Formats: sequence, structure tokens, C-alpha cells
Amino acid sequence: MTLILAISIGCLFAGAIYLMLRRSVVKLILGLLLLSHGVNLLIFTMGDGVRRGAPPIVDDAGLPPANVADPLVQALILTAIVISFGLTAFVLALAYRANQAVGSDDLNDMIE
Amino acid sequence: MLASIVLITLAAAPLGLLARRGPRPLIGWGLALLPAATFALLLAQLPALSGEQRLVEAIPWAPAMGVELRFTLDGLSLLFGLVISGIGTLIFGYAGHYMASDPGLGRFMVYLILFMGAMLGVVLAGNVLTMFLFWELTSVTSYLLIGYKHDYSDARRGALQSLLITAGGGLALLVGLLLLGEAARRAGVPAGEAYTFEAIIGAGEAIKAGPLYLPAMILVFLGAFTKSAQFPFHFWLPGAMQAPTPASAFLHSATMVKAGIYLLARLAPGLGGTPLWSGTLVLVGGFTFAFGAVVATRKLDIKALLAYTTLSMLGGLVMLIGLGGKYAAEALAVNILAHALYKSSLFMIAGIIDHETGTRDLNRLGGLRRFMPGTTVFIALALLSQMGIPIFFGFVGKEIMIEAALESPLADPWRYAALAAIVVGAVGYIVAAWRLFKNAFLGQPSPDVLQQHVTDPHLGMLAAPAVPAALSLLLPLGLLPFVSQLLAPAASAVYGHGLELDLALWHGVNVALGVSAAAILTGALLARFERQLAGLPLSLPIWLDGAKLFERLTDALIAGATVLTRALQNGQLRRYMLYTTVSFLVVAGLPFILYGTASVRLIPDPQLQPYEIFAAALIPVAVVATIRARSRLGAIIAVSVVGAMVSLFFVLFSAPDLALTQLLIEVLSTVFLVLVFSVLPSRFEILSSRWKRSRDAVLAGLVGLLMTGLVLATSGSSAFSSISPFFLENSLAKGKGHNVVNVILVDFRGFDTMGEITVLLTALLAIYGLLRMRRAAPRPPAPSPSGGERGQKEGI
Repeated sequence: MTLILAISIGCLFAGAIYLMLRRSVVKLILGLLLLSHGVNLLIFTMGDGVRRGAPPIVDDAGLPPANVADPLVQALILTAIVISFGLTAFVLALAYRANQAVGSDDLNDMIE
Repeated sequence: MLASIVLITLAAAPLGLLARRGPRPLIGWGLALLPAATFALLLAQLPALSGEQRLVEAIPWAPAMGVELRFTLDGLSLLFGLVISGIGTLIFGYAGHYMASDPGLGRFMVYLILFMGAMLGVVLAGNVLTMFLFWELTSVTSYLLIGYKHDYSDARRGALQSLLITAGGGLALLVGLLLLGEAARRAGVPAGEAYTFEAIIGAGEAIKAGPLYLPAMILVFLGAFTKSAQFPFHFWLPGAMQAPTPASAFLHSATMVKAGIYLLARLAPGLGGTPLWSGTLVLVGGFTFAFGAVVATRKLDIKALLAYTTLSMLGGLVMLIGLGGKYAAEALAVNILAHALYKSSLFMIAGIIDHETGTRDLNRLGGLRRFMPGTTVFIALALLSQMGIPIFFGFVGKEIMIEAALESPLADPWRYAALAAIVVGAVGYIVAAWRLFKNAFLGQPSPDVLQQHVTDPHLGMLAAPAVPAALSLLLPLGLLPFVSQLLAPAASAVYGHGLELDLALWHGVNVALGVSAAAILTGALLARFERQLAGLPLSLPIWLDGAKLFERLTDALIAGATVLTRALQNGQLRRYMLYTTVSFLVVAGLPFILYGTASVRLIPDPQLQPYEIFAAALIPVAVVATIRARSRLGAIIAVSVVGAMVSLFFVLFSAPDLALTQLLIEVLSTVFLVLVFSVLPSRFEILSSRWKRSRDAVLAGLVGLLMTGLVLATSGSSAFSSISPFFLENSLAKGKGHNVVNVILVDFRGFDTMGEITVLLTALLAIYGLLRMRRAAPRPPAPSPSGGERGQKEGI
């Protein structure tokens, strides 16, 4: 399953980079979204292995299930998801204002 | 006591502000009590330092790394400390008079005290790290002093030049010193002591034999040569003459430039004597010696003339350290003292001439002896000492220098080259000194002089140069036994063994006297034709003119930086993105191809489910759909599919909290996207050319491949042990929660979450501001002159 995650991460990065190299602000934002997905999945694979059916939830004795998933990377990703949402919202507001001021979606029209 | 001397001097710097108002000459001499007290304290230590005794003080600084603030006083430190504080006393008093009408005197005195403290720190430091700290402090404070008249572009340029050269050399020095410490550690010195001078000198033989000696010495030489203005780094010293005269007299005659000499002399007993050491120092020092003296004879500005004789003498001192041997150590100590005395006096008198007549140009001066008899007497004393005329202290210095060249343990060619440099230097000094004296003080008064009301300065001002000038005569006439006692510990420290010093004016008829006499006769002969000599049309070839070279180099650097900035920072976001992508491919891709491909493992996964493959397969499809979508709505749908599949991965691979959060955020994001995109044109246009799109596609594809490869190569390998087991064990016991991820977020790493909330709040405020701006400022009406302006102010 590392393989399918790895391929997904590669696809997300490739798509994100391509979109961010475009001249349209909207595509830049879409690229940003894909990039944050890719990075989150990347962190996901970095922990102590990816597991099936063993979430990091301990029983009443305080013992985790056997072969448990890594809780630390999940906590990190959770923070990352929320922060990238804040970033997305901000960039969207920026694009909205830029469109009002310049009347265009083309980044070339926004220089100076 | 040593630490207190340095630290109290530095802490006393704000006292300089006293000089802002009030009777400035008086305050100047009042502030001079500070260096005077240091001088007295240091002099009182002289009896304790006979032979090779030393005082050591250490204050722990970073004990875990074995670094301490360490101060040592031995004969060499004492000599330099006395020169710094002694000349400092005179300079402080002199400055109060010289700058009596300068509104910035308070600031100037603060810099001057700081500089003196830093300089004392350099010579009293007991390990290389402490020394380096103060070394750099002298570079910074001298920058402030040289650039004191910051409304003159020449002063700014001189200050910047000296800072770039000396601080740049300082960086090389730092690495060199660290290498020396490392070499000492390898030679068996405990890590905590490896950076002390004693340890480095003690391990000298092992260091010289080791592989670090060559690189360390090259770097230390760079530091010392830049600081002590050795060819080809000499040019900052004449440029630094833009400083007010008290600063020039202090920095560039007695202290700052001597720091390099001090360092080389300090290291000489342990690291000297090798062909690398002697060859470099004799070659560079000897050349600088002769070069400076010859150039000095052609200068018309008094301060420039003195600056070139200074860098010449610095060359002489470097050469002496290279020559090695007992006499060289003695000659070094004698000449440091002799030069500090006559040169500080000469600089201060140059300032008096400038102060009284308003010019330092020898062509515009003349006949000053009639108006300034006192000044004339003292400059004559100082100049005679510089010329090396018998019975003056400079003569004692020159004799013993010649002796050092004759008795040096080096091979014959080196010794004769050194002797030649000394003779050229001695002749140059005579011609330059005569040129200065004749043109300024003899002959008919020039119109410039007659127009001014030129007199001897106030006694309090004249006293400052008078003392060292008089000492240049008094020391050899009556005080030679005391001087011998003072200089013997210093010479011993340089030589490495205790030695007896017995200075005398008359050594009988010997080779040194013959050489000296020949030099004086030649000098007198050439001085007779001083005007004709100066008229010779000689100009420096470009490779000798360091100032011009340096200027061209900095110009080229700035031009190059401008071109590079224009190319890189053209204001197009995707251009930056392009450079970042390409750099990433090179920086991460090359090592991966070279070293990483071997660790790519494809572990078969028997539990792989069809629905997992389906979810994974949807991601590339959705990504391509996002890219190729012609309508905004299509793009939004495609990107949502990606988000949904990522959430699905989280569900499948044991991350329920992530799945929940991702889904919620996904819904919110989609709503925002639709909201914002609804006001934008509904269809994408193709803006880039086909070529650019293909290029970007190739780059993006490579990044994707690289990321996939990196994940496969790194996953499952842990370079260090994880802290996750701690969270799993303590979640219920300490965090009172079953869901470990939640406990981490709100408890174990609660501050992270607070930071996260802060980020969201900041984003919220920024968004609010962005959207409100529109409401507060209505769109400008149809373009009119005033409307246009408003539109600009509103900006975005």
C-alpha cells in the first residue's frame, strides 16, 4: 500500500506544480490545494508505517491495538489540514480582491 | 583584574557622552583618566612578569563546550596594553581640544572608548575565541570611527572599504583559529583547553607536522595581513585617513593595525620557523616595508604620507616575525614601542597643522616654524626618531632590526632580501620625513599660511604629541635600562624562551652601524633632490593599486548582482516557481539518482484491496481533470474528488480523525471556491504557448516521479527512534483520553494547537481586512486626475 500512496503523492505533486506554473490565479489556487493534499499524504507515509484497521485509540486499560498506526504523524497532519485551509481561504480572498482591482485572472496583468 | 580592565572599559563607553557639553578640553582630559588608570594598573604588573611568567583569568562562558572568556597577561600583552592605554590617554585629551567645536564629540568619544576596550580585549585575550570576539569588535568600532564624518562620501567609502577588508579577513581568521584549536585537540590537548594560546603554542610541533597546519596558517595570515594592512590589502589604511585625526592617530599608528602583528607575534614561538611561515612573512612583510616607504616619499597630503610610512613599518614588523631568532624578537619589541611613540606624535601634529592652517597639503604650507616654534621642536624630535638618526629611539630600533636580519637563522638569500628591504625603508623614511619637514616648516610662508592667524596650539593640545616625541629622545638618553626591563618579557614571549635584553646606543663599530650609516648618507643625498624625485612621472601599475582593483571588484560584484536580480526577480510568480522547481529537481534529484535509487523497495502487499486500488486510480484521473477542465465548475468538482479520495485513504489506513477533518474542510473549501469563482469569468482561457505548456508538463512530471521515488526509498526506514510510543503509553494515564491523536493535539502538544488557532485567526483578520477594504473605498469613478490618484492610494 506504500506503493499506491507513493504513486498518488507523485500525481498530486506533478499536478500541483503544473498548475502553479500557469498564469491564471485560479489555477494557482487549485495547484495549492493539490499540493497540500500531496504534502499531507507524504507526512502520512513518514511515520512508523501505514496500517490497516488499527487506529491510535487505546482501550480502557490504556493499551493500543496491536500493530497500531502512528499517532504523531496524524496529529501533525491534522494541524496541517487546518492551516492549509486558512491559507486557501486567504488566497481566495486575495484573488477576489485582485479580480476587483484588475478585472482579470491573468497574473501578468497584476505586475505593477 | 584583566577581565575587569576590558569589561569596565567597554561598559564605561557611555561616559563619552559627557563630552557633549561643558568645557570639552577639560572633559577630554578627564576621560583620559580611564586609560591612564589602565596604564598604571598594567605597569604595576611588570615586576610579576619577569621571564616567562603570566597571569591568567578565566570566566566560564559555555562550559558544556569548554569555551571560556579567558584573559592572559604576559610580557607581550603587557607591552601592547601599555601602548594602547598610554597612547589612548594622550589621544583622549587631544581629542577634547581638536574637536572642541564639533557637535558630535560625545558620540566620537563613545566610539573611541569602545574601540579601546575592544583593542585591550584583543591583546589580553587568553584563548583564540575570546581574541576573535574582540578582534571583530575592533573592526566594527573602527568602521564607526573612520565613517564618523558620515556626510562625506569619502569617509563613507573609506569606512566601508576598511570594514569589508578587515571583517572579511576576520572571517578567514575565525576558520583558521578553529582549525588551530582542532589541530591542538588532535595533538592530545583536552577539548576544554584546546583553544588557549598556551595549548596551541605548546602543541606547536605536533600542529606543524599535521595536515591542518597549511590551511590554518593560510587563513590566519589572511586575517593578520588584512588587519595589519600588508600588501596587497594595504590600501584600506590610506583610505581610512578619512577618520578625524585623533582616531587616525590612535587606530592607525598605535593600535588597530598592530592587532595583526600581535597575533603573529603571539603564535610565533609555537607555529613559527617553518619555511611556510618564514617565507610568507619575510616576502610579504619585506615587500610592504619597501613599497610603503617608497610611496610615502611621493605623497603631498601629510596624513597620506604618514599612512604609507605606517604601513611600511607594519611590513617591517611582519618581516621581523618571519626572520625569527633572538634579535628579531628584541627588534620587534623595540620597534613596536619606538613606532608607537613617534608615529602617534606625528599624526597628532599633522592634526594640529590641519587645525591651525586648514590644510594638510604640503604644496600649500611653508614657513610654519616662525609661527609654531613649539610644534616645530616636537615634530622635529619625532621625525628624527622616524629617520633613525643616532641618539633617537628610532635609531636603536633600526640598529637592532639590521642585527636581526644579519643574525637570522634563515638562509642567506632571505637575510639579504630582508636587509635590502630595511635599507630601502630607512632611506625612504629619511626622504619622506625631510620632505614633510622642509615643505611645511622651512622656507617662506605660503599665502595660505599668512592669511590664517597661525600659532602654537593651546598647551593642553600640544602636550599630547609632545610627550611621545620627547620620550623618543629621553628613553634612549637616560632610560634604556628601564626600557630593557620593560621590553625583555615581551621579547621573551615572542622568542619562546626567556632572554636578557640589554639595549645600548653605542655597540661599537660593527656591520649594523655601517649599514645604518650608508642608509643615512644615501637618504640625505636623495633628500637633497627631494623635489626632483617627486617630479618623476611614476604611476602605479594597476596590479599594485589595490584601491582601484578593489573598486573594480566591488563595482563588478554590484553589477553582477543587479543582472542576477533582474533575471531572477522579474515580478512573475511562475518564474519564481519555475526556478524553485528546477532547483528542487537538481538539489534533490541528483543525489537521489546517484545514491537513493538503491534503497527503493517494492514490498509486495498481499492485503491490497480492489477498492484501495480504485481510490488510488481516481487520483490521477481527477488531477488530470482539474488541469484540463475548461470550466471553473468542472475544475472545482475535479479538485473535490481528489480531496474525497484523500479522505478515503485516511479512512482505510487507520486515521479516522484525519478523515473527519479532511471531509469537513473539503466541504468548506468547496463552498468558498464556488463563492469566489462565481464572480470570476466562468471559463479558463489558454494563456501560455504550447511550448511553455509542454516544458511545464515535463518539469511537473519529473517532480512527480522524484516524489514517488523518494517516498518509496524512505518509507519504513527510521533514522532515529520515534517518540510515538510515549504518546501511546501515556495517553490514558496522563492525558485521560482514549483517542491518542486528540490527546496529543489538546494536551501533549497543546501549544502547537494554540499556534494553529493563531494562524487561523490571523488569516481571518486578513480576509476581513481584504473584503472590508472594498466597502470602505468605493471604486473610483471614470478616470479623472483626482480619481486616478485616489485609485492609486487605495492600491491592493
